[in-house]
Amino acid sequence: MSELLVSTSPHIRKKTSTRRIMIDVLIALLPCVVASVIFFGWYSLAIEAISVATAAATEIIYAMISKKCWKDFRGTLKYVLFHNFDFSSVVSGLILALILPVGYAATEGGITSYHYLPWYIPFIGSIFAIALCKMLFGGTGRNLVNPADTARVFLLLSFTALVGSCWGTVATFGLVKGTVFNVQDIDNVLSGATPLTAMLGNGKMLLSPLDLFLGSGVDGMIGETCKVAILLGFAYLAIRKVIKWYFPLIYIATAGLFAVALEGFDFTFFLPSVLSGGLLFGAVFMATDYSTSPKSTLANIIYYVCLGLLNAGLRKATGLEVTSFCILLMNCLTPLLDRYIPRRPFGYVRPVKDKPKKEKASAAQEGKA
Amino acid sequence: MKKIKGFRFSRGVHLPDRKVAAGKPIEVMSAPDVASLSTSMGLGKPSEPVVSVGDRVKMGQLISRASGLISVNVHASVSGEVVAISPKQNATGGTETYIDIKNDGLYETDYLDPLGEDASAEDYRNRAAEAGLVGMGGAGFPTAVKLAPRSPVDTLVINGAECEPYLTCDHRLMIEHTDELVRGMRYFAKALGVDNIIIGIEANKPDCIAKFETYDDIKVVELKKQYPMGGEKQLIYCTTKRKVPVGKLPSDVGVNVQNVATCLAMCEAVELGKPLIERVITVAGDGVKEAKNVLVKMGTPLSSIVDFCGGANDNVVKLVSGGPMMGFAIVGLNSATKKTSGGLLLLTAKETAESSDTHCLSCGKCADVCPMRLMPMNTVFYTKAGDYEGAAKMGGVLNCIECGACAYVCPAKQPILQNIRLAKAELRKKR
Repeated sequence: MSELLVSTSPHIRKKTSTRRIMIDVLIALLPCVVASVIFFGWYSLAIEAISVATAAATEIIYAMISKKCWKDFRGTLKYVLFHNFDFSSVVSGLILALILPVGYAATEGGITSYHYLPWYIPFIGSIFAIALCKMLFGGTGRNLVNPADTARVFLLLSFTALVGSCWGTVATFGLVKGTVFNVQDIDNVLSGATPLTAMLGNGKMLLSPLDLFLGSGVDGMIGETCKVAILLGFAYLAIRKVIKWYFPLIYIATAGLFAVALEGFDFTFFLPSVLSGGLLFGAVFMATDYSTSPKSTLANIIYYVCLGLLNAGLRKATGLEVTSFCILLMNCLTPLLDRYIPRRPFGYVRPVKDKPKKEKASAAQEGKA
Repeated sequence: MKKIKGFRFSRGVHLPDRKVAAGKPIEVMSAPDVASLSTSMGLGKPSEPVVSVGDRVKMGQLISRASGLISVNVHASVSGEVVAISPKQNATGGTETYIDIKNDGLYETDYLDPLGEDASAEDYRNRAAEAGLVGMGGAGFPTAVKLAPRSPVDTLVINGAECEPYLTCDHRLMIEHTDELVRGMRYFAKALGVDNIIIGIEANKPDCIAKFETYDDIKVVELKKQYPMGGEKQLIYCTTKRKVPVGKLPSDVGVNVQNVATCLAMCEAVELGKPLIERVITVAGDGVKEAKNVLVKMGTPLSSIVDFCGGANDNVVKLVSGGPMMGFAIVGLNSATKKTSGGLLLLTAKETAESSDTHCLSCGKCADVCPMRLMPMNTVFYTKAGDYEGAAKMGGVLNCIECGACAYVCPAKQPILQNIRLAKAELRKKR
């Protein structure tokens, strides 16, 4: 009892930490990693490894430089590794890898050939995500936009031919090829512009909702296709109270219902539109990012409803996969929502606005007189 | 009356119980050899000593008179000779005037006259002032001032929530002194002129609830276990569903809140004429050999209380007076008990789970648990930037009740409450 700590209350703290939360997110992402290997082959694991390693290295190097590591290299490294490094860059790196395709289809002289995604795509993407989207804004909790999401948009626009044409990758690279429960003509799927249009085109569904749910035979980004894995991760995050379970559901339900409404209230579109594309993955892992979503409940509800409306609307208008663009757009609106959606304290009383009314009334009377 | 279920307030946190001393009866500790009584026993101005060095005082004799409206009388807790009146270091490291009385072991009493059946509301109020009663929940607001509300009151709410972990002194009082407590409540009701008495008890104390159910004039409300249920505004909402408006007092919604320990003190002051010279204190935490509820005289040195509980372990890192959420850390065991010290916690490093703060990750968990529905992260953000007006506008810092729920849940271990207090102090300076 020689040295006593004297500080302000509270004197007990919950046993939790930023690291613990980030590790929880990593655990929640594990099913998606497994699914990516099953459906897209072992190379998807390589993409994830490159992306995570680059992201972590970027954060550490950035922190070392910004802390002027040349003065005390070992001390700074120790500080950065044990105090600063909270695995949030690992999470960003892994999420970025999971929203990249495993390879691309190139058509030359009428012959379509399939190639693996070049290694520099996740490498550049991770550096962009961590250095530009996160660390420049002040690191964990200060980023304006979701790093992984923004990096994906960046890659999609910069390397469209590599990142944007993943059709046929399941059949080419996957350990499990084709649909499992409902074997269909794969060429028919490939002929469409996107799986979504192919699926919904000609009034005929080529992939059953069950296939979409399991991710079997569905082309797309390596972590996004298997909805079972995403829902497992969602359940884990909700039980661990890392995210609130109802927020992703608001997003998904709004998107699904609005899509149904746009198709003239044909409810057969509900499941396909909810289960296709990156909606589920985006709703669970990207829209719920702490620093880029609003803080108060009301602002959050507005945020997720807007996301759902934007998602379904833009999907209908463009026929493209738009989840990452929607999230990026709403991320930019988050500070506004935080500032202008008021949160009333307990016992808040609406200010009585009697005076202006009376003045108006008296002014009107004077005018009459 | 049969218990009724209370309402729940939105947000709040669920804390670990850790009420190890709940099953231990109150033990009476012998009076100290030298009782050192602080002249500022409650909130407000320090009282002024009316005895001088060398005087012989009896137990219960007034030794220091209240010096203003918000100030309380202090009485001798032992009989003997006044050996010193001098400024000494207090529990938090500041300086206060202490009156040291050397115990002569005779325990001659000099109590007030008991109040009769025909006493008026005014008499009860005066008795609370004479006996030096303060709110014994921790804040230490003079009870007499509380009993003269600004607007008419129709309900008396008794705070039996004891929502803080570790503390069990109110729990034991409610079991062992049920009758005295009920009589004390009735005196408070008479002083206020109300006949609606509600006691709110958290659901983790079913034995206390059962005890109070046998009285016909007391409404028992079983409250959900939720922190800060014992907060005044939260308790009023959960027992009566009345919301105290922002910036207003409980009396503005017709409610007066008293702590159970204060009820016992009131009962003794009215029936025996005994001033507030002793109280029950919970000694707990992994750092003490045996957790106990101890009835101690005011001015007992904390070190002797720890010795009474078997002594302290070596791994104590923090001493806390009061509860772990709202109490304050103390600098050592040299100081003495006061009217407001309901707990003495000897915490180990494992219990405090203290660690250095990392970046705020903007998770919003602090806002999720704030019982006043404020935005603590905004307060921290603006206070760190030195913009206190911004902290008031965007964080709502002036409505904060400092319950510490935000800092408890913060995964980044941000010093949220420190920043809130800083912002409040700076804003108070300006206004």
